[in-house]
Amino acid sequence: MKRRLPLLIVLITGIFGAVAFFVPYPAIRAADEIMRNDVQRIIAAFSLVLGVGSIVQHHMLKIQRRAQYYSYSYITIIALIITAIIGVFGGIDVTRPGILPTRFGSFSIHIQTLYSNMMVPLAATMFSLLAFFMASAAYRAFRARNLEATLLLLAAFIVMLGAVPFGRLIHHQLPAFAEWILAVPNTASKRGILFGVELGIFATSLKIILGIERGWLGGGK
Amino acid sequence: MSSTHENIFLRLQRIDRRWIYLVLWLVIMVPLIFPFRIQPRASTPVAQLFNYIDTMPENKALVISVDFTPDTRAELQPMVIALLRHAFTIKRRVGILAMQVYGLGLAEEAIQQVTNEFNSRAQTHEDSVIYGEDFVFWGWTTPLLTVMLGMGERITRVFPVDYYGNPTESLPIMRDLKNYDDVGILVSIAASAMPRSWINFAQVQFGVNLSCGITAVSAADFYPYVNSGQFIGMLAGMKGAAEYEQLVEKRMKNKGMDWGLRNTGTEAMSSQTAAHLAIMVFIVVGNIAYFASRRRKK
Repeated sequence: MKRRLPLLIVLITGIFGAVAFFVPYPAIRAADEIMRNDVQRIIAAFSLVLGVGSIVQHHMLKIQRRAQYYSYSYITIIALIITAIIGVFGGIDVTRPGILPTRFGSFSIHIQTLYSNMMVPLAATMFSLLAFFMASAAYRAFRARNLEATLLLLAAFIVMLGAVPFGRLIHHQLPAFAEWILAVPNTASKRGILFGVELGIFATSLKIILGIERGWLGGGK
Repeated sequence: MSSTHENIFLRLQRIDRRWIYLVLWLVIMVPLIFPFRIQPRASTPVAQLFNYIDTMPENKALVISVDFTPDTRAELQPMVIALLRHAFTIKRRVGILAMQVYGLGLAEEAIQQVTNEFNSRAQTHEDSVIYGEDFVFWGWTTPLLTVMLGMGERITRVFPVDYYGNPTESLPIMRDLKNYDDVGILVSIAASAMPRSWINFAQVQFGVNLSCGITAVSAADFYPYVNSGQFIGMLAGMKGAAEYEQLVEKRMKNKGMDWGLRNTGTEAMSSQTAAHLAIMVFIVVGNIAYFASRRRKK
């Protein structure tokens, strides 16, 4: 029953979800609307509880076991609690205050302040490191070792040159050529890949709905 | 080949990566401190989107879906700002939503900035940008299927309250913005495959016009959809944002709104251009060193 019930739910909702796309019958449309607007939202709310519970449990265990870098787990949990309290009770910004006092003189700790001054710089810092790794990889690994690599290198070179105004100075048609590479050969290959991917998704979805693929149930064998 | 040359090529092959990091850091930082002016010319996909919005019927709204996270803010936020400026300049209503919870803060930032720009210079009520009349920020809800399909039926059902907690039914803008039929174009600004989901659910089912603004690295993935006409134009990376900014600035000047606003996408172009050129030089030098040392081994 523990395995059959989830499989049955997936079978029924999966088939219903697909059928609702094609059947314009009012009762089906109404049921589909309830499924999408109410049932799915309730499930999504549970997944939020599950997600928060999971992250708290994971870090509490790390702290209890004094695992490697466990001190960072304190930061995660404290940040989670403070952000949640401010987010729920502290208001959006200075113009839209909440029930918690989050403004002290000219200093404020509204959710938008936390977001703009902590979340944004931290995330941007992490992502900007990519530029350095890309530069290092371009220098060390982007070699014209064979025909395929040479073609890739040439295409990348032209597209990069076309993307900067300097490319126009070399030849006025260079940006147009770079655009052509993206719009024609790139599109042709991408379409082939996309057809394959979509067919793969379709096949996997069918396998899940029909209970052939059961990996999502977890629990190994 | 002399031994000095051999040594140089070998040393170039084994250069400490920290030197590469230092050079790139300088190449990025110096143009930010001492920028050189770059006037990007609008590419075809950017011009397509601009022209479509510019000639959109007055009763149709622009919907901006902020589907990115703060890590790609530098590249994508200028697009949101330029789109908002464009819509407010030509007096088109705007609906804003976020498909990622992180997008809420970014959307709020952009709204605050652009509404301040317009309202601080407004002379009359008509010049002002009023919340609930000229634009609405629906906020975020989940899951995406609920949003993308539900908005085709009734937007207020998907978002019963807006980001600020107001009942959406009470907002005047929502009287004429019921579902996709009232949307001129929906632009998904994303660093993920989210624009594709908009095609799968919103366009296939309801035929809504779509476009996207995406990071430069993912631009190649979206060209098939631009070519097929599923996306009306596209803004690709910071260059796309800069091009759109230039078109909007020109449009604003034409309407007598020469406000000298900051265009962060255009400002960053000098740094990005220098970084691109530096990476190209790295590739060339790396290959020269590779082939020279290979010849020596032979």
